[in-house]
This record gives sequence, C-alpha cells and structure tokens, in this order.
Amino acid sequence: MSAIDFLLINLQMVLVLGLSPLIVGVIRRVKAHLQCRHGASVFQPYADLAKLFRKEPVISTTASWIFPATPYILFSSTLAASLLVPTIIAPMPLNFAGNIIALVYLLALGTFFLMLAGLDAGSAFGGMGSSREAIVASLTEPALILSLFAVALTAGSANISAIVYKTAILQGIVLDPPPHLMALVALFIITLAETGRVPVDNPATHLELTMIHEAMILEYSGRYLALVEWAAGMKLMIFLTLLANIFAPWGIATTLSPSALGLGLLVFVGKVVGLAVVVGVFECMFAKLRLFRVTELLGAAFILSLLALVFFYILRV
Amino acid sequence: MPTLPINLGSYLVNLCSALLLLTCFAIVAQRRLMACVDLFALQSVFLAVTATLVAYLTGIHHIYLAAVLTIAIKAVILPRILKKIVRQLNVQREVSMYVNIPTGLLICGGLVILAFFITQPIVHLGFLLTQDSLAIALAIVLIGFFIMVSRLKAVTQVIGFLVIENGLFLAATAAAYGMPLIVELGIFFDVLVAGLIVGIYTHQIQEAFGSVDTSRLKALKE
Repeated sequence: MSAIDFLLINLQMVLVLGLSPLIVGVIRRVKAHLQCRHGASVFQPYADLAKLFRKEPVISTTASWIFPATPYILFSSTLAASLLVPTIIAPMPLNFAGNIIALVYLLALGTFFLMLAGLDAGSAFGGMGSSREAIVASLTEPALILSLFAVALTAGSANISAIVYKTAILQGIVLDPPPHLMALVALFIITLAETGRVPVDNPATHLELTMIHEAMILEYSGRYLALVEWAAGMKLMIFLTLLANIFAPWGIATTLSPSALGLGLLVFVGKVVGLAVVVGVFECMFAKLRLFRVTELLGAAFILSLLALVFFYILRV
Repeated sequence: MPTLPINLGSYLVNLCSALLLLTCFAIVAQRRLMACVDLFALQSVFLAVTATLVAYLTGIHHIYLAAVLTIAIKAVILPRILKKIVRQLNVQREVSMYVNIPTGLLICGGLVILAFFITQPIVHLGFLLTQDSLAIALAIVLIGFFIMVSRLKAVTQVIGFLVIENGLFLAATAAAYGMPLIVELGIFFDVLVAGLIVGIYTHQIQEAFGSVDTSRLKALKE
C-alpha cells in the first residue's frame, strides 16, 4: 500500500470522525428552528462528547464483560464500516476489504452487541429497548440488503467503491430510473429506522413508552456513553453518505488530483449537510409511529427494495 | 423536433411513471383520508408532468391540453371536492380494512410483477417511447382495483377509482401517445361528473347509515 493510500484512509477516518457530531448538531438545529426554538449551536455535540469523555463511567454491579466491551466493539466496527463507503474519492484504497455484505454486517455486529449490552446491565428498560431494537433491526436488515443489491445489480458489482465510481462516470451501469428510485426511497426509510429517527424512534426523548435506542444505552455513562453516541453519529453519517454517493455521486473525485479532491470534499460536505437538513425536516413533519405500526413502514421499504430488484430482472429479460 | 436527446427524454418519462407507481404504494400504505387525497393530487401532478414530457418528445400538441386539464381537474378540483366530503363526514382515518397494510403492500408488489409479466410480450411489438411505462400503467390500474376492493370507506374507494383512471390515462399517453382530443375531453368530463355524483352519494350513505362504511350496504333489503 502506497503512502498516498495511507494518507487517503486517514483523511477519510478524520472526516467521518470529525463530521459526524456536526451532522447530529445540524439535525438538532434544523428541528429547533422548525419548532420555533432557538436551539443549541451546531457544534454542541462536540462539547457534549468532550464533557462525557472527562466524566467517570459508572457500571452496574450485575454487568459482565460485555457491558464495558460493547462501546469499543460498536465504535470500531462502525468506524471500519465507514472506511468501506467512499466519501470524497470514488475508488477507496480499502475497497478490496469488503463489499456491501461486509458493510451491512459490520453495522449489524455493533447493533447486536448493543442489544446484548442493553440486556446485560440488568435494568428493565435496557431489556425492553433491546427487544424493540431486535424487531426493528430484523425488519430493516432484509430491506437494506435488497435495496443495496438492487443498486449493485445495475452496476454489476457488489463493491461500493465500484458502484459509486461507475455511477459517477456514468459508464458500465444500467441507467434506468425505476429501480434506482425505488431503492432510494427504501434506503431513505431504512436510514430513518436504523439511525433511530422520528417515525420509528425519537432520539430526543427518554419517555419509556417510546424509546428504543435510548433505552438500550440508558445505563451507559462517561466515556462509554461518549463512544456509543459518537458511533451513533457515525452510523447516521454512513447512511447519509450511502444515500448521497450511491444515488448521486456526481462531484466525487475520481482521480487523485488535488483540485478534484478539494471539489469532492466540498460537494460531499454540502450533500451530507443537505441530507441532514432533509432528515431534520422529516422529523418535524411526522409524528412517531406506534411500535406496531413500524412494521407497516418497514414493510413498505421492503416491498420497494424488492420491486427495485424485480424491475431490474424483468427489464433485462 | 424535440431538442432533448430521445434517450434522456425516455429516462425522464420512465422516472415520472415510477413516481406515479410510488405514490400508489403510498396511498395503499396510508390510513389518513386527507393524506390519501393529497397523495392522489400529487400523483395527478406527476401524471401531468409525464404527459407534458410525452407531448414535448413526440410533438403532439393536444397532449399539452390533456396535461393542463389533468392539473385542473385531478390535482385541484377533485381533491377539493374530496376534502370537502372528508371534512363533512368527520372521519379522519380508516381504522379497519379487509386486508391489513403489510399484506396489502405485498399483494401490490405481486400485482406489479404480474403487470410486468403480462406486458412483457407486448412491449417488443410496438415502438414505444419507454420500455416500462405500459407495465407501470397496468400495475397502477391493478393497484387501483386493489384499493377499491380492500378499503371499506366510500372515500378511499373513490380514490381507488381515480387511481385506475390515472393508470389508464398513463397507458393512453405513454403507450399510444394520447387519444383523440374529443375522447380525452369526454373522459375528463366523465371523471369530474363521477367525482361529483360519488360525492353526493357518499353524503347520502352517511345520512342513511350514519357511516360511510360501504360494507353496511350489504344490509340493504327490498
């Protein structure tokens, strides 16, 4: 691996780690504005993380090794997943390391351990959160895989870098809007569900009747909580990057020239912040669904991603 | 002659037809009556955009008129009538249906696949602007039928009827480049009158039964 690859990997890591709290801050700010509140600065999540890292963590006496290990597993698996998704340059140096399946299951690994940790701490809320997360995760996973596969089929590759590269230069890809449109809508619904956004979960409340993600991490404090929150921000960032770069990668650098990289960086930040604003607006437009109605929303996402696949197959006959 | 490259044009027509199909699924998944009406209006706007694109690409001018009429009648007047009915009825959402929503969505997915298989042999015979608009149009008609039979409330059944009409119109514009103008005018007038009549009848059902639940009509005896 050459020095430039090494540099690019580090750049990507810094970008994802550095930008993800900002994205969370932007969404909160947009929501605050739409609710006629002044709202905290978009940089507030950075201050929160810094504060949490300084605090002492408290661990329940019933907790096993899973509880303290989970934040590190979650954080590192999410970070590893983020390195598979191209942000500012299309063929990522690490693209040989995994395809869409690796991406989906790296994210699922973190979710799995978070569910275990929710049960591990021995509080009733944690178990409730874990069981709800299991429902949501088991419904989003097939839809996520199918929608990514639909796009992968049009590009003829399961490698995310290859998909993004081919779409960016508009070559070697089946240009047909219906499968892409269906997969886009499905992936957007999945993004809201997987990252605990409003129609499925509410990230801003600790109301025991509704919380899912917050219930699982209720027992975490100090640096563990900071890692879990940061990982949640990164997961959000990964999904927004997927939405932006799989369906509209134009502007992403396809060569190593500094001007292309600079443009790629600007376009990427613009797209992700734009999507964060859209997510914030969505959160304000819709009320949270009852838990048993969530299956309807995620069922719709599943059907749409299935149709995206079917469209591809039927149209290529 | 159109200045747009024909390829890009057919992509756009395809995209708009897919958006029409997407709004169909949204209607199937939606319980609130007002939102169903709004989604129908949105679908009609997409239909008008598709018609405008087809008119532009083929250079057939009277399709423009059909697009304008679609906006006026299906995106403005009919939704207003329907919303007025919903307000008068004082029913906000449909609580029970014959088929629950996830199953309904699955069935609609099956209907789309069916529509594709049925139209597959036909598509190669004609010289169509787009490959899948005809299939999508048939799928919309089938989903419209499904909405009509799966819902209990008269208002959503009307929306199902109007969705069928949208599907037929899409088939007419995308596959046959529009019908003769006089036929189109006749259809628009029919749809408008049907909307009005159904509005009045819904009101009558409400008066007679205290509900717009059409399953109660089974109790009618001579």
